[in-house]
Amino acid sequence: MSIILKDLTARYGDTIVVNQVSLDIADGELFVLLGGSGSGKSTILRMIAGLTPPAGGSVEINGRDVTHLPPQARGTGVVFQNYSVFRHMTVADNVEFGLRIRRVPPAERHQRSTELLDLVGLGGLGARFPDQLSGGQQQRVALARALAYEPTVLLLDEPFSALDVKIRAQLRQSLKDIQRQLKVTAILVTHDQEEAFELADRIAVIERGYLMEVNTPELLYHEPRTEFAATFVGGGNVVVGRVAQGQIKLGDVRLPLPPDAPPHDEDAPIRLLFRPETVYVSATPPAEGSGIHTLGEARVCEEMFSGSQQRLRLEMRGFQDVRPLSPPPPYGRRIFHIDALQVSDRAVALNRPQPGDRVWVGLRGYHVLNPGGLKVLIAYADTPSGQAAATFGALLASAAGGLTALLGVTEGAQSAARSPLAELFSRGAETPASQSVTRETLEAVARRWPGGPSPRLTLKVREGAVAAEVLAEAQEGDYELVVLGRGQNGLGRVARQILERTETPVLLVREPRPQIARMLICTAVGEPGKTDVRFGGRVARRTRATVTVYHVAPPASAPWQRARITQHMAEAQAVLDALGVPAATKSEPHEPGNLVAAIIAEAEAGDYDLLVIGAPAQQHPGRLRWTDFASEIVRHTDVPVLVAPMMA
Amino acid sequence: MKTRSRSQATILPPLLLVLALTPLLLMPLGAIFVFAGRGGLRSLLYTLSQPDAQFALRFSLLVAFGTALVNGVLGTFAAYVISKYRFRGRNTLNVVVNLPVAIPTVVVGTSLLLLWGPIGLLGQFLTPLGIQPMFAPAGVLLAHIFVTFPYMLGAVKPVLDELETTYEEAAYTIGANRWQTFRYVILPALRGGMFSGLLLTFAHSLGEFGATVMVSGNLRLRTQTAPLYIFAQFEAGNIETANAVAAVLALVSFVIFMLLQQVTQQRDRGGR
Repeated sequence: MSIILKDLTARYGDTIVVNQVSLDIADGELFVLLGGSGSGKSTILRMIAGLTPPAGGSVEINGRDVTHLPPQARGTGVVFQNYSVFRHMTVADNVEFGLRIRRVPPAERHQRSTELLDLVGLGGLGARFPDQLSGGQQQRVALARALAYEPTVLLLDEPFSALDVKIRAQLRQSLKDIQRQLKVTAILVTHDQEEAFELADRIAVIERGYLMEVNTPELLYHEPRTEFAATFVGGGNVVVGRVAQGQIKLGDVRLPLPPDAPPHDEDAPIRLLFRPETVYVSATPPAEGSGIHTLGEARVCEEMFSGSQQRLRLEMRGFQDVRPLSPPPPYGRRIFHIDALQVSDRAVALNRPQPGDRVWVGLRGYHVLNPGGLKVLIAYADTPSGQAAATFGALLASAAGGLTALLGVTEGAQSAARSPLAELFSRGAETPASQSVTRETLEAVARRWPGGPSPRLTLKVREGAVAAEVLAEAQEGDYELVVLGRGQNGLGRVARQILERTETPVLLVREPRPQIARMLICTAVGEPGKTDVRFGGRVARRTRATVTVYHVAPPASAPWQRARITQHMAEAQAVLDALGVPAATKSEPHEPGNLVAAIIAEAEAGDYDLLVIGAPAQQHPGRLRWTDFASEIVRHTDVPVLVAPMMA
Repeated sequence: MKTRSRSQATILPPLLLVLALTPLLLMPLGAIFVFAGRGGLRSLLYTLSQPDAQFALRFSLLVAFGTALVNGVLGTFAAYVISKYRFRGRNTLNVVVNLPVAIPTVVVGTSLLLLWGPIGLLGQFLTPLGIQPMFAPAGVLLAHIFVTFPYMLGAVKPVLDELETTYEEAAYTIGANRWQTFRYVILPALRGGMFSGLLLTFAHSLGEFGATVMVSGNLRLRTQTAPLYIFAQFEAGNIETANAVAAVLALVSFVIFMLLQQVTQQRDRGGR
C-alpha cells in the first residue's frame, strides 16, 4: 500500500470538516476524491501534503508515518487549481526549482527539465515566462514541476477547473497518459463526476466530511451501496418501496427481489436505484417475456433532445406507499418523477414522445441499495429521564430499522478536575453532569432492547464532560436523529447546540410511551413547515403510526391567507397519503399568545405518543428564536417531542 | 450637432480642472525655478557651492538613503509578518505600524524629544553616559524612520496580501524551507512593490520638515537638512539662496516621481 489514511479528521473551529476518513491507496493508482464544494475533499488532500494539520488520525506514505512531518519532508508533488507557477522564473527554472533546492548539478537539472517539458507537451518552451503561456500550458508547467523530483505521490487539487472545457479534456487525457507512463501514484480532487469517471482507477465519494463510498467507477455507477452515491454519481432514480413476501412492492407493482440484494426484513422499506438509460419508454407496454418490468403508464412532462440522446422526465401517478428520493419529488402532489434517457437513432428521434404524451414505462433493470433506515443516536444517562430516552428511543429506533448508537459518557479524571466549571456551564442541561455511565451499564440496557440485542445497535462510551461529549458524538456520527432525556428546563443547552450546529432533529423524552401509534405534526405555512411534514412522515412511515397534521396560527383575516393555509394542509395530506401514512389534518386559529397553549392542549387531548414541531412562522422576527418556541412546548408537556431543525 | 455638443462636453471638465489647478499646483512650482534662475546660472551654481548649502543637500540625501535602507528592510519584514502570520494582536499591530501617517510630524518630533531628549524618559539616563541622540544626526535619522515607516509597508503589504498562499505552499511541498521560499518565491514577487516603497520613503525623507525641525535643533553644518536650510535662508531674507536649494530638491523629487510612474506602469503591463 502506498498511502494509508487512518481516521483522518480535520476541524475548522467547532466544525468538523473531515470526519474520520480511512483510505488505502495502492501504488501506481490514480485515485479520485469526488465531492461537492465544502465536502472536505481538498482538506484531505492538504492533510496528505502536510499543508493542513489534522485534528486526529494519521497519514502513512510508503510505510512511513508522516502525520507530523512538515510538507518539505513528505516528498509529495502538488498541483493547485490556480497553477501557482512562479511568475518571475522561466518555465525551465520552475521545473528545476525542486532539483535546485535538492542541489542537483545544473547539467542534470537541465536534462531532467527538458525531458519533463517534452513529456507534458511543452518542449522548446523552457525559456519562456509563465505570463507568455496560456492557462492550460501553465498547468502543464505546474505538473512538470511537481514531477521533477520524482514525488512519492502526485496530489492534484481541482487541477482543471479553471480551464476551458476543450483544454480541460486535452489536459485530462495528457494527465492520464503521463500517470500511466510514469506509474506514479496520484490523488486527484474534483467536483466533476465526468472527470472522476474518465480518470479514476477508484473513486471515493466524500460528503460533508464523511467518506460515503469507495469503489471503481463501474461498480460505483451500477452497484452503489448508499443513496448519496447513487444520486450524486450520474443521474439516478431512487424510490423507496417495501418488502412484501419476498418481493419488492412499489405501489401496486411487484418486482422480484434480486438474490444478490442486501438482506431486508419483511415489510421493511427498500430503496431501488434505476438509471435513466435502463428505463423503458414506449407507446406500447413492454412485451411479455422481454424481461422488462412494467411500472405503468406515465405522462411526459419534460423533454430535451440533444442530438445523440433524448432526456425525458416522466410523471408517475397513483403510487401508494412509495417514497421517491430522486429526482427530488414535488411537494404536496400525489405524483413522482422518473428520469429516462433514450439513445436517439433516426426512428426514435423523429417519433419521440412530446410533453403531455402518455407513454408506458418499464424497467430493464434495477439495483437494491443497502438498507437505510434512520440513523439514531440515543444518549443514555442513569437518571429517570435518561432511562426514558433509552426505552422510547429503542422503540423508535427498532421501528426505524437503521443503525443505532447508544452513547454513555464516563467522566474521566480530566473532566473531574474541571468539573466545578463544567457544572456551571451545564446548568439547564438535561443530564446531570455528575452521572457517569460505564460500558457495563450500556450492555445491561442493550440486553433489554425490544426484540433482543440487534446487530444494528452499537454501544459507544466517551470520556469527558457529558454535554460536550454528546454534542461531539452528534457532530461526528452523521446521525439523522438524536434522542435525549430531559429535565424540567425546556430544550436545554445540548439539544439547542445539536439543533443549531448539526441541524439534526432532536427527540426529547421525559416519560416513555408504550408504543408509537399516534403522532401529532405541528406545522406552519412555508418551507420549514414542509420539513416538519416530510420528516414526521418519514418517522410515521417507519413506525406505522397515524398522523394528525395540526396547524395553529393567529387568525388569518384576508382570503388569500386562508387560501394559503388550505393549500398547505392539502399538500401535507397529499405527501402523507403518498407515503402510505394514514393522516388527518386540523387547522385552528389562535391568538399569537396562545399558540403554545393550543398545541399543548391538542397534544394532551389527543393522547398522542409523539409530538413533532419545527420552526414556527416568523411572528416576531428577532424577538423570539424558534428554539425558544420549541422550548416552551417541551417545558409544558410530558409527551415526547421531536424538534425538527430549520434546515433538515 | 449631437456629436459636437458631446465633444464640447468632454473637453469642458478637463479644461476647468486645469484652470483650477494652475494657480494651486502648477504656478507655485514654476515660481521656484523662476526665482532660482533670476541671477543667472552662474549665481545659482555659486549659491549651491556654499558650504552650508552643500552640507544641507548632502546631509539630506544621506539621511534619505539611511532611512530608505532601514525602513526598506524593516518595512518588508513588517509587511511579511503582518500579512503571513496569524497571531493575537495582529490587528492592533497593523494599526500601530500605520499610525505615523496620521500623527502630525511636529507631534512626532515632540514625542521623540520627550523620549530621547536630555530630560526625556530614556534620555535622562543616557545623557550622563555621554549619549545624546537628540540635536544630532542620529536624532534626524530616528525622526525620519518614524515618519516614513508606513510607506514601505503600504507598498509591499498589498502585493503580499494578493500573492496567494498556494505559491508558498507549492514551494513548501517542492521541498523549500521557509527561508528559501521567502528568498526564491516571495521576494522576487515583491520587487516592484519594494522599489516603489523605497522611492516613496526616500522622497518623503528628503522633504521631511516638521519632525526634523524639532529634533535636530537646526544646527548649521551638523543637523541642518535641505528643507531646514531653505526655511532658515528664507527667514533671513536670502530668498535666492533658499530658492536655489529648493529648485534642486524639486528636481530630485521630480526624477523620483518619474521613476515611480515608470515602475507602476511596468507592473500594470506585467499584469501584477
